[in-house]
Amino acid sequence: MKHSKMTLSAETMNLGFVKKVEQLSGSSVRRCFQCGKCSAGCPMRSFMEHPPNRIVRLLQLGQYERVLAGRSIWYCASCETCTTRCPNKVDLAAIMDALRKLSWDAQGPSKESLVQLANRLFIDNIRTYGRQYEMRLAAVFNLKSGKLLKDFMLGPSLFTKGKLKVFHKKNRNIGEIERIFSRIEELRRKGEAT
Amino acid sequence: MTPAKNILNYSYYPGCSLHASAKEYDESTRGLFKALKIGLHEVPDWLCCGATPAHNVDELLSLSLCAKNLELSNKVDGDLAVACAACFSRLKVTQHRLAENEEKRHQVAYALDAPLALDKPVKHLLEILAADFGLDRLAAAVQKPLSGLRVACYYGCLLTRPPDVPELDDCEDPSIMERVIGATGAETVSWSHRMECCGANFTLSRPGVVLKLSGEILASAKRGGADCIMVACPLCHGNLDIRQKEIEEASGRHYGMPVFYMTQLLALAAGVSTSKLGFGSMMVSPEPLLKAKNLL
Amino acid sequence: MSRIGVFVCHCGENISRTVDVEKVAAEAGRLFGVAYTCDYKYMCSDPGQNLLKKAVAEHKLEGIVVAACSPRMHEKTFRNAAKAAGVNPFLCEMANIREHCSWVHEDRDEATAKAIDIVTMMVERVKRNKKLQPITVPVTKKALIIGGGIAGIQSALDIADSGHQVVLVEREPSIGGHMAQLSETFPTLDCSQCIMTPKMVDVVNHPNITLHTYSEIEAVEGYIGNFQVKVRKKARSVDMAKCTGCGICMAKCPQKKIPNSFDKNLGFRPAIYVPFPQAVPNTPVIDRENCTWFKTGKCGVCQKVCGPGAVDYTQEDEIVVEQVGAVVVATGFQLYDIGPKPAGSPIEGYGEFGYGTIPDVIDGLTFERLASASGPTGGKIVRPSDGAEPKSVVFVQCVGSRAREKGISYCSKICCMYTAKHTMLYKHKVHDGQAYVFFMDARTPGKGYDEFWRRSIEEEEAVYIRGMVSRLYQKGDKVVVMGSDVHIGVQVEIEADLVVLATAVQPREGADTLAQKLGISYDKYHFYSEAHAKLRPVECATAGIYLAGACQGPKDIPDTVSQASAAAAKVMTLFARNELEREPIVAKVNERFCVGCLACRKVCPYGAVEEKEIRDRNGNLIKVVAYVNPGVCGGCGTCQATCPSKSVELDGYTDEQIMAMIESL
Repeated sequence: MKHSKMTLSAETMNLGFVKKVEQLSGSSVRRCFQCGKCSAGCPMRSFMEHPPNRIVRLLQLGQYERVLAGRSIWYCASCETCTTRCPNKVDLAAIMDALRKLSWDAQGPSKESLVQLANRLFIDNIRTYGRQYEMRLAAVFNLKSGKLLKDFMLGPSLFTKGKLKVFHKKNRNIGEIERIFSRIEELRRKGEAT
Repeated sequence: MTPAKNILNYSYYPGCSLHASAKEYDESTRGLFKALKIGLHEVPDWLCCGATPAHNVDELLSLSLCAKNLELSNKVDGDLAVACAACFSRLKVTQHRLAENEEKRHQVAYALDAPLALDKPVKHLLEILAADFGLDRLAAAVQKPLSGLRVACYYGCLLTRPPDVPELDDCEDPSIMERVIGATGAETVSWSHRMECCGANFTLSRPGVVLKLSGEILASAKRGGADCIMVACPLCHGNLDIRQKEIEEASGRHYGMPVFYMTQLLALAAGVSTSKLGFGSMMVSPEPLLKAKNLL
Repeated sequence: MSRIGVFVCHCGENISRTVDVEKVAAEAGRLFGVAYTCDYKYMCSDPGQNLLKKAVAEHKLEGIVVAACSPRMHEKTFRNAAKAAGVNPFLCEMANIREHCSWVHEDRDEATAKAIDIVTMMVERVKRNKKLQPITVPVTKKALIIGGGIAGIQSALDIADSGHQVVLVEREPSIGGHMAQLSETFPTLDCSQCIMTPKMVDVVNHPNITLHTYSEIEAVEGYIGNFQVKVRKKARSVDMAKCTGCGICMAKCPQKKIPNSFDKNLGFRPAIYVPFPQAVPNTPVIDRENCTWFKTGKCGVCQKVCGPGAVDYTQEDEIVVEQVGAVVVATGFQLYDIGPKPAGSPIEGYGEFGYGTIPDVIDGLTFERLASASGPTGGKIVRPSDGAEPKSVVFVQCVGSRAREKGISYCSKICCMYTAKHTMLYKHKVHDGQAYVFFMDARTPGKGYDEFWRRSIEEEEAVYIRGMVSRLYQKGDKVVVMGSDVHIGVQVEIEADLVVLATAVQPREGADTLAQKLGISYDKYHFYSEAHAKLRPVECATAGIYLAGACQGPKDIPDTVSQASAAAAKVMTLFARNELEREPIVAKVNERFCVGCLACRKVCPYGAVEEKEIRDRNGNLIKVVAYVNPGVCGGCGTCQATCPSKSVELDGYTDEQIMAMIESL
């Protein structure tokens, strides 16, 4: 898909998508004039198939599928370097967040399942315990990603150095925390939030 | 801004890591503040701030979690002291974003089922020490000067970025870490990767990323002539310390560079007992270095 | 002459570092005819010049050689000093021992020997110099302006407002040029006609301006301060004195379907017409090629309905002779046409864009006529093929420009801005339309220009795609555009309703012929050449002729108006005196030897050689010889090199002098 010809027309440019991203991120997309400074300073650029400036370019042309299908947005480290250096104050980090949210919602085919899995488990932990249960995070991740032996060698030394908390109590106010999650879901069902 | 008082008092948000994999950061922070006679009281029932995974896929959730923490922090007197750079960043971003966006304020208030109470000043330990406490007082409190120790101060991403949010120091050329540790008599080195990303969350899902990025940071610190690296973030610490052996194996280079939390070094200088500094928890042991510099 | 002073300058260290200046002065002192020599650190400085003047007085010097830098630097300085000391300035010469010696050699001995040689030559020359007086020519304080576009109009008004007479000659029936065709102008989106028509009216009403429209330059003779110009006033077939501009003739003319070139052939006009409603003067002309009366002898309706009886089929072209002192050339530009070019032409057409045969592929001026409120569609943007409103318009930049292999290598300067403007005009009129622009760079350097361009993208939602278009072809009723997006690295295809090409800016057809009439130079693209690209941008090498506007190079309206006022200022400087002083180093013909072969006239780049009749006392013609007009002669010496009988020589560069210089070595 990356290299195929792009046919532009009012139908193929999903400009509503662009407006949605701008609204979610609070940043202009049109301001980008492709200077390339963001890509130049991005620490994750070499892991991405589309460097940051190309993501914005595709976005400017409303190319919904090309942007969301790839793994590039999932390799963003949220280091905020792009936002800091953009000459036009395009908040690229916020745009990346917005793109990830839309990809997450779309649950469409994305090549980057591991990063998404890690995010999903992290958030699930908050919902269940209130605070991050690191050991559970690592263990379940290994299980669900099929990488049972990942970081296996670190396990014992982390444990003896007291860095692995095996048992974890739920917060006292876990009920209030659950309510935060369910209320957000409610807002979304009602279409009052993205 | 809190006017300089003789007795300082803070509410405290440790964040999830400080109760687990970064517990030496928590321990040394408490030890330091006790030695400096600064009050530090943990906020009850605080929850995870969401860190990077939350805002990465659900900004509304991230804002709501932090707004809840800010509401809870009002139960304890004193500005909110934060040690972890990510938690600090999320709390400040929340304050900024909700100040500028009315629609999001309504949504978050609904999620919390309570009016928003976001005004508690959020401060990183660095600004508490540099501005509120004062570098002179800090220097005066030093009992064991760290002279001879060459420290590479590592800021990472979130202490100074995005611009205008952390309000800590210049985002391209900060010096707050150097000034704070400099007050203990330690020497700070000039090096190229002070603010380059360590690879952050990818340590869980894509560790190869960390091996590359953190490897470059270690190499740069070594080139700069540092004996050790000083950090203010549990994730940066984990990537540079826990994965250091793996990086050495992957790159074929030896570093053996201890990675300290800032409060470990400061507490050491302030005379806190080394048993309370969590040196045993570090994967790259600092003991050989500290012995060599007569600091143990 | 026997008392020459030689002054050798150190030029700080520039000369003395390599040349032994004391030795040069000493050796010069031994030359026959040199009465005084000295060396000094900075001859051009105040003390240096005083030294010179003092030496002239004390040693009664009659000639001066200053051995120093290039005469291009300080000849004027030392000639003024000589004049102040009472020596004819043309008896003061510079021997260049810096640029020609110390700056290009390293060996001290060799350089010193060469410097001595240079000084020796100059001494020999000065011995044979004549005491020349500056030549004065009178100045006719009337300016001719060729071209009635915004450049010509601005120059005319500036010169006329300063109190001088102006003759403005315009080829079309009305003044206004291309600016009158535009709808709105960047970066302010001012209505073009609204800002221009007041100036046009000022021109026609100005007491100091004589306006000749529907006229061309037939011939130009003369020189600065004294040009004779023949203007051909083409027959309008309407008596300007009688016509009231009522317009009944145009309304009644039965021939209504002649394509109107002002409207880029999108609209029609009658055979008796004004090019646009706001024409100045508002007097129609009859297009004799298409008029029924002139083709068949039948019709004559316009004459019948004309109240004042102004229509006159018998009117003929009239030649008017004007005497002027200065000429401002403001003939403007035309747009490159993508059609096929004749074999052997240095410029190619764009076959890949259809050679101009696709009806919905138009150029920028055509788009302006569509957008213009007074245009053929009343300001509605429609497709030429079927009159439908286009919902997608593709703009293609750099068509012809920056294409050295297609024959035009320069950038046309105005297209990035006017294309951004077009996207805005389009969006303002077709709210649900989408504009696409294929571009390479955005050249937007003026005040407010870059912001204007960004507005097109950020607020008016034009989609700018960096990449060029390979091909345009018709598919059904759409035009398929095959381009690329260089940033993404993919091909882009768009089915457009309308395509607008930003074609290159070229000088007008016939620019070369006019230049030859005027005796001015032009480059390979037929843009007129300025005397110096940086320091003399509005003058020609030919004295008395000035340039304004796009005829000198592609230009937007702000720069055109600036240049027009600059040219006017140069004219006003010229007119500030009653007489002109010119350097007297001019060619003189020895009339006894000249046989009148006039080879010199053929080679003279300034057109300074005339024929002169030598008659005896009874008026019988003895012979015709060449005569060099000292006011026009540029002192280049080409005639001297050409003359087979050695009858013409430059004062100050005679063959005798040159030979003496060579023999002195």
